[in-house]
Amino acid sequence: MATVEKELAKNTTKQKGPITYDLVLIGASPANLTLAHRLCDLMALKPEMHLSVAILEKSEEFGGHIVSGAVVNKKIFDKAFPNHIEDGMPIESICEESSFALLGRKKKFDVPSAITRALLPDFCKEGYYVLTLSNVVAWMAETLQAKAATVPNLDIDMYNGFPATEIRYENDKISAVKVSNTGVDLEDYVHGDLFCFADKGFLSKDIIKKFELADNPQIWSVGVKETWRLRSDAPYLKGKVWHTLGFPTLDGTLGGGFVYGLDHNRVTIGQVISLDSKNPNIHPQKQLQELKKHPWLQNILRDGELLHYGAAVLPEGGPASLPKAFQVDGALLMGDALGLLDVKALAGVDKAMESGYIGAEVVFESFSKRDFSKEQLSKYQKKLLASPFMDKYKANRYFRQAFIKNPDLLEKYLPIFVDGFDKGGFLWGGLKAFLANPIGLTVQTFSALIHLNAPNEINDEVRYMPGYEHIDPNFTKEMIARNQSDEKYQKTTIYSREDAVFYAQTKYEVHPEHIDEFSAETCLKCIKTYEAKGLDVPCVSDCTAEVHRLDIRDGGVKVHGMSLENCVQCRTCELICPEQNLRVNAAYSAGGPNFKGL
Amino acid sequence: MANKDLNIYVLVKQVPDTRSKAGVNPDGTIDRAKAGKMLNPFDAYAMQAALSAKRMGGPGSKVTAVSMGPPPAIDILYQALEHGVDKTCLLSDRKLAASDTLATSYALAKTLEYLFKSDGKPDLVFCGLQTTDGDTAQVGPEICERLDLTQVTYVEGFEIKDNLIHARKIIEGGAMEVEAKLPALMTIANSYNKLEFKTFRGAKFVQGLKRNEQLQKEYVKIIDLATVEADDMLCGLAGSPTIVSATWKIGTVGGNCTMHQGKSVEDMVTEVFETENSVIKELSKV
Ligand SMILES: Cc1cc2nc3c(=O)[nH]c(=O)nc-3n(C[C@H](O)[C@H](O)[C@H](O)COP(=O)(O)OP(=O)(O)OC[C@H]3O[C@@H](n4cnc5c(N)ncnc54)[C@H](O)[C@@H]3O)c2cc1C
Ligand code: SF4
Ligand code: SF4
Repeated sequence: MATVEKELAKNTTKQKGPITYDLVLIGASPANLTLAHRLCDLMALKPEMHLSVAILEKSEEFGGHIVSGAVVNKKIFDKAFPNHIEDGMPIESICEESSFALLGRKKKFDVPSAITRALLPDFCKEGYYVLTLSNVVAWMAETLQAKAATVPNLDIDMYNGFPATEIRYENDKISAVKVSNTGVDLEDYVHGDLFCFADKGFLSKDIIKKFELADNPQIWSVGVKETWRLRSDAPYLKGKVWHTLGFPTLDGTLGGGFVYGLDHNRVTIGQVISLDSKNPNIHPQKQLQELKKHPWLQNILRDGELLHYGAAVLPEGGPASLPKAFQVDGALLMGDALGLLDVKALAGVDKAMESGYIGAEVVFESFSKRDFSKEQLSKYQKKLLASPFMDKYKANRYFRQAFIKNPDLLEKYLPIFVDGFDKGGFLWGGLKAFLANPIGLTVQTFSALIHLNAPNEINDEVRYMPGYEHIDPNFTKEMIARNQSDEKYQKTTIYSREDAVFYAQTKYEVHPEHIDEFSAETCLKCIKTYEAKGLDVPCVSDCTAEVHRLDIRDGGVKVHGMSLENCVQCRTCELICPEQNLRVNAAYSAGGPNFKGL
Repeated sequence: MANKDLNIYVLVKQVPDTRSKAGVNPDGTIDRAKAGKMLNPFDAYAMQAALSAKRMGGPGSKVTAVSMGPPPAIDILYQALEHGVDKTCLLSDRKLAASDTLATSYALAKTLEYLFKSDGKPDLVFCGLQTTDGDTAQVGPEICERLDLTQVTYVEGFEIKDNLIHARKIIEGGAMEVEAKLPALMTIANSYNKLEFKTFRGAKFVQGLKRNEQLQKEYVKIIDLATVEADDMLCGLAGSPTIVSATWKIGTVGGNCTMHQGKSVEDMVTEVFETENSVIKELSKV
């Protein structure tokens, strides 16, 4: 047959065989897009080899479901995208001044840079890129299309609005993923030899579970953030970066804020809150509003304009939560799906991209040998663990342990310190916390410092409990720290959760059904438990959009309901539901938020 | 009796994107070159109708999407292929500029006649109700008259049983059930089913197509007026009896409408009350 005829036979829409690719990438994420770019380079060197690649992304636009900070180590771009400047990668600014600030309800204390450098060097971000990651991901996707067009032996097909929602196995090797729900099997599954999951856990959690890869569970936090355009005479922030501790997360939970100055008189503000919290009602979106009421931020945001709101979760467990194997037969796990975030430095993008870069080399070799066994793929794990981009991640492995082992630091002393700090300044706050329990504070601070700056193993096996197991229905502390009532704040800078959803631009053309509630009975019991304590049920309070609700039925019975059309697919509810009664799936047909600009 | 294989055509048009702000001239007219572009939203219903009809027909049924417009209009034909349309054709010719509905329906009827020769006689032709940039709702019925097909307009639901159409069409104040013989042309109302999401196979096919020029020629046929043997004098400006004597900006429509948005509900309600109060005060003075 002539080549065209062959192509016709292969490609015609009438052709009804299984849909097949050599390589399937799940998530158009920093990790997978870096992988695809690198693969272009490698394939160009071997014209006799042919590969077909599918990139599956659940959002309607590339970058549309990406929320990050993001202050990112420039070195990873120099390595993976050496021409990124000439190729027009969107960079908001380069960090010139990085500060670590303690926040009271009213006051702010910038820790002197010499002290930050000595004690918290990971938070010195000078020289780092300040990025709007959703825009960078869109750029990576766009340049990938152009680059792939120059490599004739590599066909890369990019799919928006097609999530992977289910894995199919053949003899324990991953053989296909489900991408649509037409009901016709042949149309709904995409087959492949090799699959790379950079999906922040949506589907890869099933692989970790099936193959029992995790000895220690992952612990997650939720990050909520907003981007603002500032009034013309607002303080000039481009190139400035703050990380904050203290107000408003004063309920004993680990949490902190970030404020990054962007280009064009914009700023991005966020709060990251750990989900291994005793507090059943964290209210992440409300905490962000409280943060914005702080006089320091009011001065910045006054008369400004909210542009975008979004939320996403972050894997915080570090090396202790890493799966035993980063690969199984026919698949690799990458980026946040693996848990490569260094929470101490709030840095995951560089490591996600490095996992893609190294992943590409191993993928290329596996196709050259046509060997997709976990033994062949295990080179990925070895190479990645040896990468210099992983050095800090490994060194910071006791960060979470520092606070788990010394819970009083956040639960007891931080609130006392903040109180004193607001009343009499930094030293007064410190003194009050010290006087509350001189020995206790000293011992716990000392122990925490050892964990935080442990250069070597300290023989302290890290054990985590999943977030939902921490929730205590008898929790009695103040749920969210409120700004002092006498403080003036501009009402138009504060948004209710209902209103915030508008700025996440959620859109579901097809009636959404992407969250499973396993048992209504379980919800009834859960509602009774929390109502009896005068608390909200966790899914209702901690949803970052306005999805979970209680409906009152005949006879006053309260039942759990969901307004799924508001969902931003952050997965917080799944992670905190104390009964593990929810599963958040990726939605079909491009449903979800539009985070472009976050 | 099972339905036979149906040969289906659907007419689609690219229109300025109603969501984009770019491409509006200071006098309020559209700069078509600059404006963002999209599939005419009404045609999305026609496309869904065509794809549904294909499922009702025998296993050899097929849908061909046909458009007229400048070369960038092939984007909507790619979109049609993503949704599962089998083949497409674009009539593109400079001489088509400034066509009114009469000239448009002539050119499209000639195109369809040309396709009927190569791709088979039609059983069904689907059109959207109207376009968002012309708003006349004339082109579909005019084509139907030129091709001498059965005509059913304003259809919001239909079935094909025993090779007969059973359709429900909107009429003033209600709906009407009609039965019609094939071959027929139907214009589809926007109360019909929404266009389903593209299919994975369709999206895969289009990406392969974009890499393969020869395959593109096969599936996105681009033809001109000479190919369809149209009389130039009946096309474009020459063939358009409609004369636009003048256009003018009618200014802001309606009375005072204040949009309250982008603030918290609480603030917006306060704002509404404040404005309402001042309006009431103004009115009480009169
Ligand atoms: C608020 C916040 C602030 C942060 N700040 C920083 C910072 O300043 N610096 C830094 O380095 N890191 C920061 N991070 C972490 C960083 O964003 C992540 O570590 C990084 O984005 C992980 O990249 P990834 O490649 O794993 O994929 P992700 O960025 O998680 O992207 C996953 C992609 O896959 C898609 N997807 C998911 N599931 C599916 C599915 N089933 N099918 C199809 N597609 C799917 C998603 O839509 C998304 O596009 C921050 C994170 C958050 C939430
Ligand atoms: S989903 Fe979970 S948190 Fe919500 S009511 Fe049900 S059991 Fe409780
Ligand atoms: S329903 Fe769950 S996944 Fe959706 S926005 Fe709320 S917390 Fe996030």
